[in-house]
Amino acid sequence: MRHNFRTWPLLLILSLVSLPLIIMYVFQVVDSFTAPKPGSLIPGAVTFENFRFLWETPDPGRSSIWQVTFNTFVFATSVAVIITSISMTAAYALSRLNFPARGFFLGGLIVLHGFPTVTLIIAIFLILQFLGLYDSLFGVILVKSALELPFGIWIMKGFYDTVPWEIEMAGVQDGASRFTVWRRLVLPQVQPGLSALFVLAFLLGWSEFVLPLVLAPGSDAQVLSTYLAALIADDSKLDFSLYKAVGMFYALPVIFIYLVFQKKLMNIYGGGTKG
Amino acid sequence: MKRINWLGLGLLAPAFCIVIFFFLAPVILTGFFAFTNMSTSTGVTGGEYVLNQTGLRAIEDKGLPEATLKQLKNAGYRVDAKGLAAMAEQFGENAAAEFAELHGDALFTSRRDMERALKDLRANQIRSTRDRKAAAELFKRSVLNERFATEDEFRAVLIEANINPADHDAIVMQAYSGWVWTKENIELIFTLPSSLRYAMNTLMYVGLTLSFNVLFGLFLAISIFYLPPRTSAIFSTIWFLPRVLPPVLYVLMWKWFTWDTGFIATTLSWVGVAPKNWMLDTSTHAWVVIVLINGFVGASLGMILFSSAIKAIPTSMLHASEVDGASRIQQARYIILPQLRWPILFVTSYQTLSLLTSFEYILLSTDGGPGRATEVWSLAAFHTALNNYGGNLQYGLGAAFAMLLVIIGIIASLTYLRFFNFREMIAKPRIEG
Repeated sequence: MRHNFRTWPLLLILSLVSLPLIIMYVFQVVDSFTAPKPGSLIPGAVTFENFRFLWETPDPGRSSIWQVTFNTFVFATSVAVIITSISMTAAYALSRLNFPARGFFLGGLIVLHGFPTVTLIIAIFLILQFLGLYDSLFGVILVKSALELPFGIWIMKGFYDTVPWEIEMAGVQDGASRFTVWRRLVLPQVQPGLSALFVLAFLLGWSEFVLPLVLAPGSDAQVLSTYLAALIADDSKLDFSLYKAVGMFYALPVIFIYLVFQKKLMNIYGGGTKG
Repeated sequence: MKRINWLGLGLLAPAFCIVIFFFLAPVILTGFFAFTNMSTSTGVTGGEYVLNQTGLRAIEDKGLPEATLKQLKNAGYRVDAKGLAAMAEQFGENAAAEFAELHGDALFTSRRDMERALKDLRANQIRSTRDRKAAAELFKRSVLNERFATEDEFRAVLIEANINPADHDAIVMQAYSGWVWTKENIELIFTLPSSLRYAMNTLMYVGLTLSFNVLFGLFLAISIFYLPPRTSAIFSTIWFLPRVLPPVLYVLMWKWFTWDTGFIATTLSWVGVAPKNWMLDTSTHAWVVIVLINGFVGASLGMILFSSAIKAIPTSMLHASEVDGASRIQQARYIILPQLRWPILFVTSYQTLSLLTSFEYILLSTDGGPGRATEVWSLAAFHTALNNYGGNLQYGLGAAFAMLLVIIGIIASLTYLRFFNFREMIAKPRIEG
């Protein structure tokens, strides 16, 4: 049926409105690998000079990029591990098990899932001060995991809900306990869901900016997002080529994950979840 | 039966604990903090008692009697019986007796005068400077600029300085450097002209961005639906990337695009327009950029949700309309749009809440500038409590700003409960113990 229509006017409009984004993407990649040429859009010679931050620190005050990358990796991985493992058990309980106040917990989950967490940051800042976890990577990991947990449980519950009851009933018939049924029969069924959640939680941790900025501003716990933001905020020497190179380095895992898990990510985002 | 109960609660326990600590506690504590005057200067833990010149002036303005004020100011070093007794103990009876004869009942306002007076001793000289300092300390009766750890200590000094007991409470209150409970934050928010401005900014931000998100999301979803699969895949990637890329990098690209050495300035310089910063030069520009930055991210959510809803429309309906000679615009208007009522409602309500409370992209791009033209409510809370140029972070006032958003958040999320088909969700599990 589509052949009855001419597609080119639509294509033209769509390309025009997408142009800013396309330009940004293209120059993001091109500028990071070429010498800057002020006042001109035509890129200079190909160079790796913009990536010099990898082997020397841009200025004496800054931490080494590798330390920062390591922090970011620890942060994102820990967040992903905590969210995945806790959601794995909690979501099963909410999806399949009968226990007191189950309706209350489910309602609480929906409320928390919709709740705008960023409004809590001032109270969290003060709580971490009281607990002595302020300015430590560990504190930020805990907070980020806690705030994304309702979202993780929500997604995992969706995956558990699709597992056929018959599998569990058969297991129970054969005399296995509910715990064994969960571990041996149900968990393998939601394996794809677990890996999707892990990847997504990793991405959330990797991209997080406001929490590390507020809760761990010191240089010991710096992550790539705050590193890049601090670099950009330093007005004394504006160097977009350097920023873009750092940005490229920062975005590499994200782009890689996007290319590999594109379908899965779109599905999860499409499930009407956080955005 | 019993065992299942425990298993369910056990599996839920870790999630429950972590949510209580870092989710529910902050919600409740935001309410508490909003009624304190916590700030960088008061600290977040307890405080101490110290009366300095500024404090003195403040209670003077509050109407402290002149006599008491004088007493507070002049209570420097007093050669009284108590001090002499202490001196006799440390430096010998003779020295104390001689000093009493020389300067009995004298008053000195500064330490230097006191030490000079101690030099007047002839028969029982105190030779080393350190000893003289120690001796001077014995006569110190000052209240000003002295730090006291507890209220009792402070009150004891006031009594010692012979200050009218009726004035003690006012002085103690002024001298306390820690935080106290107060309703001032709430009153301040309702009286400051800037909070009205933040509210208007927020309304404008949410209104404009939301309309952009929904309308543009619709446009993207419908046009992608009509394009051949390979072309539509390219466009959905282009529009999905802003959501996947880290915010710092995404905003960096916008900064480059609008900066005075960036894309727009360079392109326009070809036709003779002087380069300028297209993001920050006027508040209108700042608003356009902010709405676009957030809109481009938000449009992808609409695009994904609307796309999947459009795919669910039976193709027979579209085929039939085609046979009847419907144009593409007619198809979109009469077939596709009516099917999208629920997704549109969902995106609208969901994004209203998240736009109302999020400030990440504004913080990274304009930081509320130029001036405070793009300072929205949530960013104002952030700036007040956690990050401002003045350096005095007002946690209490910031929490009061945030409390309003938390209340809106709670109400909105509770209404989510009605959106979801809650009845069906709490359907009893099919395996009973």
